Amino acid sequence: MTDPKLQPAIPVQPSEPPSERAVSRRRFIRTTGALAAAAAAGPWIAPRRARAAAKTLKILQWNHFVPAYDKWFDGTYVKEWGRKHDTEVIVDHVGIAALNSRAAAEVSAQKGHDLFMFLSPPPAYEAQVIDHREVYEEVGRHHGKPIELALRSTYNPKTKKYFAFSDSYVPDPVNYRTDLWDDVGMLPATWDDIRVGGRKIKEKHKIPVGIGLSSELDTAMATRALLYAFGGSVQDDHGNVTLDSRQTIDAVKFMRALYQEAMTPEVLAWDASSNNRAMIAGKISLALNAISITREAENKHLAIARQIALAKAAQGPARRIGLEHVMDCYVIWKFAENQDGAKRFLADYIGDFRAGFVASEFYNFPCFPATVPDLKKEIANDARAQPHDKYAVLGDVLGWATNVGYPGYANAAVDEIFNTWVVNTMFAKAATGALPPEEAVREADVQAKRIFAKWRERGFV
Amino acid sequence: MDAIALDRVRPRRAAPRWRDDPQALARALLAPAILYIGLLVGFPFLLALYYSVSDATVGARVFHFVGLENFRSAIENPTFWQALRNSIVFTVVSQALVVVLGKAAAMALYRPFRGRALVRFLILLPWVAPISLGAIGWLWIFDPVYSILDWVARALHLIGPDAWPIWLGQPHLAMASVILVNVWRLAPLATVIILAGMSAIPQDIHDAAAIDGAGFWRHLIRINLPLLMPVMLVALLFGVVFTFTDMIVIFVLTRGGPYDTTQVLASLAFFTGVQGGDLAGGAAIALFLFPVLAAVAIGALTLARRAEVV
Repeated sequence: MTDPKLQPAIPVQPSEPPSERAVSRRRFIRTTGALAAAAAAGPWIAPRRARAAAKTLKILQWNHFVPAYDKWFDGTYVKEWGRKHDTEVIVDHVGIAALNSRAAAEVSAQKGHDLFMFLSPPPAYEAQVIDHREVYEEVGRHHGKPIELALRSTYNPKTKKYFAFSDSYVPDPVNYRTDLWDDVGMLPATWDDIRVGGRKIKEKHKIPVGIGLSSELDTAMATRALLYAFGGSVQDDHGNVTLDSRQTIDAVKFMRALYQEAMTPEVLAWDASSNNRAMIAGKISLALNAISITREAENKHLAIARQIALAKAAQGPARRIGLEHVMDCYVIWKFAENQDGAKRFLADYIGDFRAGFVASEFYNFPCFPATVPDLKKEIANDARAQPHDKYAVLGDVLGWATNVGYPGYANAAVDEIFNTWVVNTMFAKAATGALPPEEAVREADVQAKRIFAKWRERGFV
Repeated sequence: MDAIALDRVRPRRAAPRWRDDPQALARALLAPAILYIGLLVGFPFLLALYYSVSDATVGARVFHFVGLENFRSAIENPTFWQALRNSIVFTVVSQALVVVLGKAAAMALYRPFRGRALVRFLILLPWVAPISLGAIGWLWIFDPVYSILDWVARALHLIGPDAWPIWLGQPHLAMASVILVNVWRLAPLATVIILAGMSAIPQDIHDAAAIDGAGFWRHLIRINLPLLMPVMLVALLFGVVFTFTDMIVIFVLTRGGPYDTTQVLASLAFFTGVQGGDLAGGAAIALFLFPVLAAVAIGALTLARRAEVV
C-alpha cells in the first residue's frame, strides 16, 4: 500500500494542455498578489472617504409599522446627526415580539446598544438604566413640558426615578367602515353603539366587529380601553389592585354580549397585525387600532381606503377613554458605552421631532407638543387621506388617551400583567363562556394580586 | 531523502501512554461531549436552579434568597396547572402520532424504489429546516382570514358556505393544530432513527420468517417491533424531550391562546420570565419540567436496555 504522506498534495498533469479557462498557479499568485497589494494600499490612496468617525452610537428599535419612518430615520436623520457630531450611528431593528427578549439578553451580557427603544414602559429594567430625569430636564428647557401620558409611562413615584424617556406615542382610535355603518344608520360613538350597530351589520352583511380577544398587543389595549370606559381598572392611583370590582364585571359582561352578538371566534386567534389584514380585506366592520390600517390602504391605493374612517375612543358608562396604541420608551443602559452621545441624540431628536412626525405619516405623536405646534392643522388637511380631514379626529387625542397603568403609573407589576396577557385572558374566557364573568374576573384578580405582591416585595411598586 | 528513510534514522518518539490505555482514551474521547453538556446544559441548569430560589428579575444583578417562594407562587397560579395539563396532552398525543407515523414511513422507505433518495430528502426537510420558518408557514396556513385549508375545504364542498373553522381560535382546533405542526416537525427524526434500526436487523431473520410463512402482521408484531423496540424507545425519548421543552411552535402559532388553552410550561416560563420580567418565577416554572423529563429518560433508557438484553 502506498503511504498517503508520500503522495503529492496536488496531482501534477504535465501532459494536459492548459485550457483557456483554467487558472495556472502563476496566474493565480499574480492575481491574488495584485489584489492583496491593492487592498493594502487602498486606505492610503483614498483615505478621506473611509475615515472612521471618532465615536459610535448604537441604537436598537423596532421595525416601524410605517416603513417610510425607518427609511427617513436610518437613511437620512441619523446620518445627518452622525456627521454633525462626528459619530458613526448604527441602527439595528428587530420585530416587535423580539424587543423584550433582546433587552433581557443585553442586560444579562451587560453589553449592547447605547439607546434601546421599548414599545411599552419597561419598569422592570429600572435598576439597569440611568435616571432619565436629566434628559427630560434638558429637553424641557428648550421644548416645554412633556405630556402627562409620557410621565405616567416612564416615572416610578416610589423610587422617584425616570426609568425611560418617551419621545412619542401612537393614538389608538376606532377604525370603522363608513359604508357599513351608514347603511345601518349609526356611528360607533359609544360602546353601546358598537354593540348594537355591530350586531345589525353582522346580521345584514355577515361582517363582524373585529376587536381582538387574543394574547397580543392590540387586544391588550382594546380590552383595557373597554375596562377603563366602564370605570374598572387593574390598579388604583396608589398601586393597589382593584380588578375585582362591579365595574370590571360589567365590562366583562358587556364584552361577552358584544362577542356573542357581533363578533366571530377568529378574534381569538389574532396576532398584532390581524386586524389590519381583516379590515383591509373587508372582513370586519370595526377595529381599535393605530392609523396603520388606513395608511396601508392609502399607500397601496386600495379602494377600501376611502371607506375606512376614524373615530375617537368610544364613550363608556364611566368615561370616553382609550389607550395609546404604543408608547415609544427609549432607555440608556447604565452599561452603555456612549451615554453622553445617547443623551445628546435624544435631546436633538426631540428638537427635530416634527420631521419624525411627518416621516411616520402622523403615526407617532409628540410627547413634547411644542415640537409640532401645527399638528392639528397638519392632520386636518392630509393630501393622501380621503377625505383630506380624515385624521382631524386625532387632534384632541390627549383628552381621551391614557397609559396602561391608568389611573396610576406604569410599574413592573402592571407590566407583567400586561405581558402575560392576564386581562386579555379574563375577557376571552368570559366572552366565550369558558368561565362566568364573575369567576373570570376573580381568577384574574387573584393573579394580579399575586403579581403585585411579588413586585412589591422586591421594592418596585 | 524520503520520509521513510528519515523515519529509519530518527529514533521513534514514544507514543503518549494514554493512547495505549483504553480507559484513558475513552475519557479523552468523551471529554468534548462532557464539556459541551457541562457548558450548554449543566451551567444553564444550575443557573436556573439558582434563579428559582432567588428574587431575580430581568433588570436585577443582585439577588436575594427567597427559598421555595417562587415554586409556591407558581403552584398557586391556575394558569400553571392548565399549562401542565396542556404540556402532557401536547406531548403524549404528539409522540403517539410521531412513533406510529415514523414507523409507517420507515417501512415505506425501507425497500428500494425509484426516487427513494428524493422522497427521503423531502421527508427530512421539516426536521432540517428551522422550526421558526416552518411554523410561520403554518401560521399562514391556519390564518383565521385567509386559511388555505378552509379555502380548499370550501372549494371541495367539504364545509358549507357559512362554515369557516378558526384553526387557532377554537380551543380544541388550536390544540390539534399545534400538535399537527409538532408531528410534522418531529416525525422525520423518528423515521430516520427507526429506519436505521430496521437496516440493522439481519436479513437472515426476515428470510427465515418468510420461509416459515409469516404474513405482514405476524412479521411486524413478532419480528420487527420487538427488534426495533430499543431504537423506537430512543426515538420516543428524543421526541418527548423535544416536545416537552419546546415553545417555538406554541409561541409562533398561538402564544398560548385562545385563553391559555394551548399554554404549555415552556411558553409560560418564557412569558413570565422574559416578557413579564420575573426571571425567578420563569425559572421555577421551567424547573417543573426537570423531574418529568428525568423520569421519562430513566424509564425509556431502562426499557430500551431490557429490550436489548431480551
